[in-house]
Amino acid sequence: MPDAEREAGRFSDSFLDDYFAECDEHLRAMRAALLKLETALRDGRLDPGALEQIFRGCHSIKGLSGMVELTEAETLAHELESYLRALRDAELGLVPAGVDTLVDGVMELERVIVARRDRLPVPPSAALIARVRALTAGGASAPAGARTAAAVTSGGQRWQATYVPTPALLERGVNVNTVRERLQELGTIVSAMPDVRAGGGLAFTFVVETAAPPALAEWERDGITWMRLGEAERAPAAAEAAPAAAATAAHFVRVDLARLDDLMRIIGDLVIDRARLAESLARVEPHVPANEWQAVHEHRSSLDRHVRDLRHGVMRVRLIPVGDVFDRMVFVVRDLAREYGKQVRLELHGKATEIDKFLIERMMEPVLHLVRNAIAHGLEGPEARQRAGKPREGTITLRASTVGDTALIDVEDDGQGVDAAAVTARARAAGVPVPDGPLDAGALLDLICAPGLSTRETPDRGSGRGVGMAAVRAAVQEVGGTLSLETDPRRGTRFTLELPVTLAITDAIIATVGDRTFAVPQNSVSEVIEVEPAAVRQLENNEIIPYRQGTLPLVRLSRVFGVAAAPRPRLHVFVTGRGAGAVGVAVDRIVGQKEIVVRTFGDRFIKVHGVAGATELGDGRVVLILDVGALVRSGEARGVR
Amino acid sequence: MPGAPHTPRVYFTTLAVVPFVPGATLVTNILVVDDSATIRRMVRAALQPVAEAQFVEAETGLEAIERLAFAPVGLIVLDLNMPDMHGLEVLRFVRAHATYRGIPVLVLTTRGDDASRGAALAAGATAYLTKPFAPAALAAEARRLLERGGVGAGR
Repeated sequence: MPDAEREAGRFSDSFLDDYFAECDEHLRAMRAALLKLETALRDGRLDPGALEQIFRGCHSIKGLSGMVELTEAETLAHELESYLRALRDAELGLVPAGVDTLVDGVMELERVIVARRDRLPVPPSAALIARVRALTAGGASAPAGARTAAAVTSGGQRWQATYVPTPALLERGVNVNTVRERLQELGTIVSAMPDVRAGGGLAFTFVVETAAPPALAEWERDGITWMRLGEAERAPAAAEAAPAAAATAAHFVRVDLARLDDLMRIIGDLVIDRARLAESLARVEPHVPANEWQAVHEHRSSLDRHVRDLRHGVMRVRLIPVGDVFDRMVFVVRDLAREYGKQVRLELHGKATEIDKFLIERMMEPVLHLVRNAIAHGLEGPEARQRAGKPREGTITLRASTVGDTALIDVEDDGQGVDAAAVTARARAAGVPVPDGPLDAGALLDLICAPGLSTRETPDRGSGRGVGMAAVRAAVQEVGGTLSLETDPRRGTRFTLELPVTLAITDAIIATVGDRTFAVPQNSVSEVIEVEPAAVRQLENNEIIPYRQGTLPLVRLSRVFGVAAAPRPRLHVFVTGRGAGAVGVAVDRIVGQKEIVVRTFGDRFIKVHGVAGATELGDGRVVLILDVGALVRSGEARGVR
Repeated sequence: MPGAPHTPRVYFTTLAVVPFVPGATLVTNILVVDDSATIRRMVRAALQPVAEAQFVEAETGLEAIERLAFAPVGLIVLDLNMPDMHGLEVLRFVRAHATYRGIPVLVLTTRGDDASRGAALAAGATAYLTKPFAPAALAAEARRLLERGGVGAGR
């Protein structure tokens, strides 16, 4: 029936977003479980919980994919599910090749789903399906490998928890799912049974194995009573014992990012309105009796606070832990290490660090590229490492942290460092201008990121550094961040991405130069200092100022923008950049601090060096927002260090 | 770990008292049990045209049974393969207790598991459909079961 089919097509189309979001959750859980499975297998064990998790994910994706008519995903998930079922039922043993196939299968599944999402041709999975089938069929002839053990006991005490649901409890948000989750945190749930009691009421009986005896009073409030099970009652471990289920996303809602963007835009308007209101109020203040003004002032302060809280609240909704991106890298590293014949250990730090979802998505590719580079170029092969007195296994470290409103992502390797001589030679050959004298890290980074430069004679699949590093830096700068490099032939290489935690609204320092006013995002300013003009020293063509036992290159904003500076007894200087990349930027006066709404220039023709965008102050003036990163680089380009 | 934060969730706790008027349209609660939120939404959308239906959702088998205890349900749409309690267990529980025995149960499970049809029917499923499902077919089946259940609940 063509009509019905067309109707069905329309029907599933309206669920595509849900489909992609739910698949995403499953794939994430499956990736984490695959790692557990692999780790356990190295010790010769089969982790039944992880296996069940992957099985469940495949099953759910299969069902969902059928509904949205993504046959390729449905078929692939079905084949994986069959193999996993055989493993679960111990018809097959898990061998290392099986884990590899599962990893490849899950990644392929993701590629298929992402291709559909991005409306790209769906990649063919025939080869992979053949591999999975061969594994599933090879059951009888391959008795080796780890199998599910019959029963796993944690050695704790067995308790029976009885939960009696009531409407009052339900209203408080206590239900059988939340109770089960709490029990899971306490120990291992051996069985879960519903039961209708004599009076007609319902009760759930859980048998829990736990090392720590529960604090009974805490649970009774939520309708749960405990009973210690003696040895005699331990036997009947129900056959349908619940394996530890996935952490359910019961307490989460999914929100379309576009809706949050709308909210952010409204809050942006609110921030501007508030600034306008503040201006108007300042004008009428002289005409209002002081006792009346007190109330106005209090209301305005309270409004300020609430607008700020609202903004922070919405921003927090947009934040997601960086751990998800990091976890993906585990598989990338695994694949690349094999491809390049290197031994690599991946260390992840700060997985709980939260960054704006939009930013994380934009940084996914750059981070991926840096990791590829680290494996392809940074780390030496096992033999070379041994000769250099390093462990054969190289280490790549991904580290995320937040400092104020700035998020830092480090991609670090303990390899051979960037070969400055090779980079210089390549740059000269490619016609990229090379500064004279020894290169510092900043200049080296500039060369690496120059378009068209590659340190490899032959481009390889994993990492073509030429386009790649230029694209990495461009992506970082596009979101208002900076990329920096530290490298040492003995200790290795570290790239640091410094990113604003959020984009749209930010606190800014308002500064004047001559008759111009500029806004400087506060997250890029580490300190504001006052400097006597006499303290500024000339060094060749550049100026430096004393700063904390050392010196700091000085960039005068008046010169950058060709504005006549007003003569002042003291210079106001804000310090920006980190470590060796720090620069002092001199302005005439810092006039205050404001919450600003960043409007970027959509038009590429009006892209001005050193300007990140514009904002509207409350008095209707439009002021430019400085791109501090660009100013720092212009300071570096002039060789002021 | 006592004192876990409990995010309040909205529950259907009001007991809709349904007067039995022969021939009148019944205001019916349909309990949709599936661990996938997307599938639950799809089922609701497909059943929207079924007159006067209200929906109660459960994402696990245990939750399904809990919901049954607090809202009168005229039809259960039940997935089989769920964590923590298999759909068949839910079905057996429903059929084993007088209070719920008469509720029609439409098993809606992912295709490819041919053994489950027999098992579901043996355990007392009133109807059996597979995912992917055609919305119109699901609606028609649900309407049929509701009309049957409405006239003379019980088996």
